[in-house]
Amino acid sequence: MKAVNFTPRFWVALGLVLFTLLLGLVGPLVVHTDPNAVVGGLYDAPSAQQWLGTDNEGQSVLANLVYGTRTSLIVGLLAGTIATTIGLVIGLVAGFQGGWLDDALMGMTNVALAIPSIVVVILLSIALPSRGSFTLALVIGVTGWPWTARAVRAQATSVRTREHIDVARLSGARWGSILAWDVLPYLLSYVVMAFVLQVAGAILTEAALSMLGLGPSGSVSLGVMLYWALAWGSIRTGAWWAFMPPTLMLTLIAFSLLLLQSSLDEVFNPRLRRGRAARRKKVVGVTEPAVGAPVPIPIESGEDSDVEVGRGVETSSGTHTRGGNG
Amino acid sequence: MNDMSDHDLASPEDSAARTWGSSWETSRRRFLSISGLALGGAAIGLGAAGCGTAKTGNDNKGGQAQGRAGAAGETLFVAGFQWGPPTNFNPVGPSPAWPAGGGQSQLIYETLVRFNMVDGSLQPGLGTELKENDGGKSFTVALQEGTKWSDGKDLTADDVVFTFEIAKDASLSYSNVWEYLETVSATDPRTVEFKVKTKPFNPLPVKNAIAGTYIIPKHIWEEFATAKTLAKQANTKPVGSGPFLLDKYDQTQVVLKRDDNYWGKSVFGTPAMKSVVHPIFKSNSDGDLKLESGEIDASQQFTAQIWKMWEDKKKPVGTWLKEKPYYLPGNIPLLQINQTVKGLDNPKVRQAIAYAIDTPNIASTAMSDYSEPANASLILPTGYESKFYDEAGVKDKGWTFDKNKAVEILEKELKAKKGSDGIYKLPDGTRLGPWTLITPTGWTDWNTACEIVAKSCQAVGIDVKTEFPQAPNVTSKMQNGDFQLACWSASGVSPASPWSRFRDLLDDRGAAPVGKTTFYNFTRFKHPDVPKLLDDAGAATTDDERKTIYQKLDAIYRQTIPVVPLMYRPLEFYEFNESNWTGFPTEANPYAPPMWQGAGITWLFKIKKVGT
Repeated sequence: MKAVNFTPRFWVALGLVLFTLLLGLVGPLVVHTDPNAVVGGLYDAPSAQQWLGTDNEGQSVLANLVYGTRTSLIVGLLAGTIATTIGLVIGLVAGFQGGWLDDALMGMTNVALAIPSIVVVILLSIALPSRGSFTLALVIGVTGWPWTARAVRAQATSVRTREHIDVARLSGARWGSILAWDVLPYLLSYVVMAFVLQVAGAILTEAALSMLGLGPSGSVSLGVMLYWALAWGSIRTGAWWAFMPPTLMLTLIAFSLLLLQSSLDEVFNPRLRRGRAARRKKVVGVTEPAVGAPVPIPIESGEDSDVEVGRGVETSSGTHTRGGNG
Repeated sequence: MNDMSDHDLASPEDSAARTWGSSWETSRRRFLSISGLALGGAAIGLGAAGCGTAKTGNDNKGGQAQGRAGAAGETLFVAGFQWGPPTNFNPVGPSPAWPAGGGQSQLIYETLVRFNMVDGSLQPGLGTELKENDGGKSFTVALQEGTKWSDGKDLTADDVVFTFEIAKDASLSYSNVWEYLETVSATDPRTVEFKVKTKPFNPLPVKNAIAGTYIIPKHIWEEFATAKTLAKQANTKPVGSGPFLLDKYDQTQVVLKRDDNYWGKSVFGTPAMKSVVHPIFKSNSDGDLKLESGEIDASQQFTAQIWKMWEDKKKPVGTWLKEKPYYLPGNIPLLQINQTVKGLDNPKVRQAIAYAIDTPNIASTAMSDYSEPANASLILPTGYESKFYDEAGVKDKGWTFDKNKAVEILEKELKAKKGSDGIYKLPDGTRLGPWTLITPTGWTDWNTACEIVAKSCQAVGIDVKTEFPQAPNVTSKMQNGDFQLACWSASGVSPASPWSRFRDLLDDRGAAPVGKTTFYNFTRFKHPDVPKLLDDAGAATTDDERKTIYQKLDAIYRQTIPVVPLMYRPLEFYEFNESNWTGFPTEANPYAPPMWQGAGITWLFKIKKVGT
């Protein structure tokens, strides 16, 4: 892995992501205030005791922010894992197997893609008898997989024709083992990026749902905080501390994850590299990465795979718009 | 475009991918950088969005002394009654649009007499006064001089008799008056007599109906009464007797224009405004912003922290009271507890819940300080009901927010054991929860109150969670008993209160069991002594007599606790912005009550254009 040069962008992105993770996971341990405890009145301004003031129920905004960040991250990670797993399995099987199974799976995926997933998410969350953060993550996860499946399938199709697959077949490897050991590793870089995007998308979808009043009941999330801030006219009364912190936090999470994804893109795909890292390569005269490194596969496979990388990024951005606009 | 045609021969999937890929590749980073901005903007934008196309008066900055210019200056803009496109103006139908609905301003339709919630009196309307004969065995109302419909025909005692008679056969909103009303008759063309039934004898609901029923013209509605289509009429060109006529309406507004041939000019005077406009908003926040800016003159919306409008922003905004609680209490939103749910059927459990609820916090946050913490009584402690209020009883036998006391009841009196999940279990194994607390979505003050109730209960070890379905859903769940806990109110202050409130909450006679629709006693409460006491209260002739009976009922209530008062709420919210119209009544200038319905119409005739 020495060949991989992490760009400064990557380190900045990683730092931001780690910061939000730390805030969400360690924050609740540091901030001792119970997010449900009444510590003041309706929209008390920030003070020495309450750094971010109180919300419409007289609860600490700071405590709600760290607990809300945690809920949002948990929902995001869980939904991202579910969506990526479903998409990966369907895409791998369809792309590698081909034939009628491919047609069937992709037909299903295309149908799923055609239905606006925010509508499905809203209907599902209304229909469910209870809305915990886990059910919410499940709902977001099972509606977010189609574009991952499509992209993974495209990549798997190109890997299928490689010689080493034939070698594996000749040596008697089973179907499952070929998928897991000979196909999947070539897609891992892409899957990691897709996962990051899924997480960011899921967090924004959760916020969108919560702002519609369909958030997790019984727990606080960033979207729930925004929902109450809007419902209680915090903008009219000038209680900026009620809506700014969750807005900034959501922006930070989404921004850092997207930044991480795009810098990972540069790490995995040298063609996209800019700045010093790219210039140095030119000076040294390295034209293309050497054969054998599994990571920069998309480059080696030429024209075709370039399109596929493009598509992956494109569709993922599409998912984002969904979350962001909600 | 070129790119796409190049690849027309490739598989459709591939060509789509290519065009999308190339168009996004270049703008991806730009997208990343603006996505953050867009999100922040979305949060702020949402608050201001939704103003829609509803027409309001133009904000006239710096022109406070003159008010609005032009036609908008001659218009009174009101808000808070109409939340969807108007479909009908049928005053006897199930959901009429403003102002034909019950409990709204008497702009088109009028009542015989008008209730004043401040002193409990009945002010003249179409009738001069309500005369009580023989201790309430009958009432007579004489019509004012020259009462006329807006189409020029005379409004006579026949119209009044007709209005009440049609409710006998058809099921209209005021039909239940016939449980207590024997006959309505015209003793002469301008006098109506209401005879009260002797069994059950109760003049209160009759009085209530006389003060609350819009009189409708017989010559127009008679044919619908015979065809039995009264409730189905859209009535888009309403003929009423009030000072305004329906001018036009669409999904953004309802516009009324002044009727210069109003019969009551000699009695009530002429309103200063030429028209009254009700813009239709989507949510509280739209109307609140416009009230603050002076584009709405008077509003009936829940507006959080309204004092900031005059204290911080120096706007000419006001409410009835200059200080907390700003409004007069007129209703009690209650935690309604379904008596048929296991665990909640135990009065001691309900008592523990009553102690657990953080009512001071509900008053200060959910009600934005517009309420005192609610007391353990179904009688309002202020206004005209205060003469029945039992201060000593509430103090000795009532409850106040006390977590330790709630835990003590659970552990000592109920011998409940706390499970590993922090939730108590009764000795018979009944777990206290999970119970769902419902109230309609978007009713922000009630939603927040529910959140506080749920958290208060969780804090002592009772498992309660909230759910906010659409309003019609909640209504049908309440009526069918398909709920565990709910935030819902009973009848507000009226000529029949607090009798009507006790009856709504405690009377099991005529109330359907769970699974069938009932219009009162949603909790399916039963107590052997209540029906007799209710009848006695209705038949009582003096306030002292009533007071004793009401206090007995209140004492039974405090032992059985089918509902827990959460806060006090005004009968209607009443707030105004004086940048165009001035002279709204306040506590300092109490010439009219802070109401829209009933006697509230008085202020409409008295407010004046700024600078005149």
